[in-house]
Amino acid sequence: MAAVAAQDDYAFAVLYDRYVDLVFSAAVRVLADSQLAEDTTQDVFVRIWRRPEAFVAERGRFLSWLMSVTRNRAVDELRARGRRRKREGSSLGPPDDANAMPLFPGESDDPLHAAQLHEDQVRVRRALVDLPQDQRRALEMAYFGGLTQQEIAIELHEPLGTVKTRIRLGMQKLRKALTSRDGL
Amino acid sequence: MESRHLTQEQADEFALGALEPDIERLVALHVAECVSCRDEVEAAERLASSLALGVPRHTPPAHLKRRVLFAAGIVRPGPLGRMLRFAPAAAAVAAIFVAIAAFTGMVSVRSQVGDLRGANHDLKAQVDEALAQKVQIAAISLRLNQEEQKSYDLRQQASGDRDLLLALLSPDSYVAEVFGVDAASAAVGRLVWDEDQKRVWFVASDLPARPTGQTYQIWVDAGGRYVSLGTFNSDSAGFARYDTIVPEGLTSYTSAVVTVERAGGAPERSGPSVFVGDFSRFQR
Repeated sequence: MAAVAAQDDYAFAVLYDRYVDLVFSAAVRVLADSQLAEDTTQDVFVRIWRRPEAFVAERGRFLSWLMSVTRNRAVDELRARGRRRKREGSSLGPPDDANAMPLFPGESDDPLHAAQLHEDQVRVRRALVDLPQDQRRALEMAYFGGLTQQEIAIELHEPLGTVKTRIRLGMQKLRKALTSRDGL
Repeated sequence: MESRHLTQEQADEFALGALEPDIERLVALHVAECVSCRDEVEAAERLASSLALGVPRHTPPAHLKRRVLFAAGIVRPGPLGRMLRFAPAAAAVAAIFVAIAAFTGMVSVRSQVGDLRGANHDLKAQVDEALAQKVQIAAISLRLNQEEQKSYDLRQQASGDRDLLLALLSPDSYVAEVFGVDAASAAVGRLVWDEDQKRVWFVASDLPARPTGQTYQIWVDAGGRYVSLGTFNSDSAGFARYDTIVPEGLTSYTSAVVTVERAGGAPERSGPSVFVGDFSRFQR
């Protein structure tokens, strides 16, 4: 990222190759539209190239920051187009896939990085699989669907307090599962 | 919100984007000023972002990379791209080198032009000197030609004198005295006839030079018919010497006469007589 900040176009191309699958997949997950996901992916990477200082290394890992940027940009697009879908959040994949093939096979030019990314993905999927369905669904509807707790409650025909509880418990369990080894 | 810090639950809801817009705006304002809450929110955002790592994989189209790079203003990443990126700078540096080279070349050319001008000036001086020498040579040549002509004339004269001397010494030659027709004239002349050389000399002194358009013409009487031996004129000193070959077939002659004729000579004797001579009085 330091090289990208120095406007090294080759480093930027490498960064793109490493993370484009994640960014594009997250955008598709939010927007459920490949074309819109392409636009969002392009926007995310161009913003990184033009404003690399937006990432502050002291505040966390680049991957977490990149995913936050992607999600926020995709949700903004979703809201702007009024295409907020009443999705319960499509499945993140069957729970038994957690130990199966990696979600993002290591195609990077850096094997160590690819291995670490794969490990992160497996841990996240395991953590999500371990979540109760209703908690995971609430988290996904908020994070990927761009819905507020009130909107989720309406969608699920559940009391607001129930939704708040599910989100709180889900985040607590997720935090416990993912920060037990290292912080994301 | 300003009076107390965010709870972790609130930070999680904010990180997930699950708060109502009004509340979300208030939280954002607080987080912007509260370091501890900002740390809490950032931690929650990192946790929330992990959800994105678990999404199913979707492979982006291959053209997306070109789109992204193009949108980022990158023509072609890598060494070639760097070359292209630095091409303008390299071109500028090259232009500077070219300019320096051009300037150096211009100075060199100017120096060469100066040298050439100097060489040209020297060459011109040499040409001028050569022309002057050529003029001098021409003058000398002219003078030489004149001297040669004089020499030739003197040689001719000497040759004529020698021939005349030989004729005077020859036993086959005759000398006849001619007399001026005008008694007041002081002119005297002699006619030398050399049978052996078949030549005739006429020598006179104190003979006035004929003006332009007139000439002296000498005739011999051959059986009642005057045959011209040629024309001559005297010099400014009144001296005249004329010699000629005796015409073929002229074997009999009794007298000679010198007349004044128009320039170029007359076919028939017509002008006034200046000298007359009697060949019967030839002296050997």
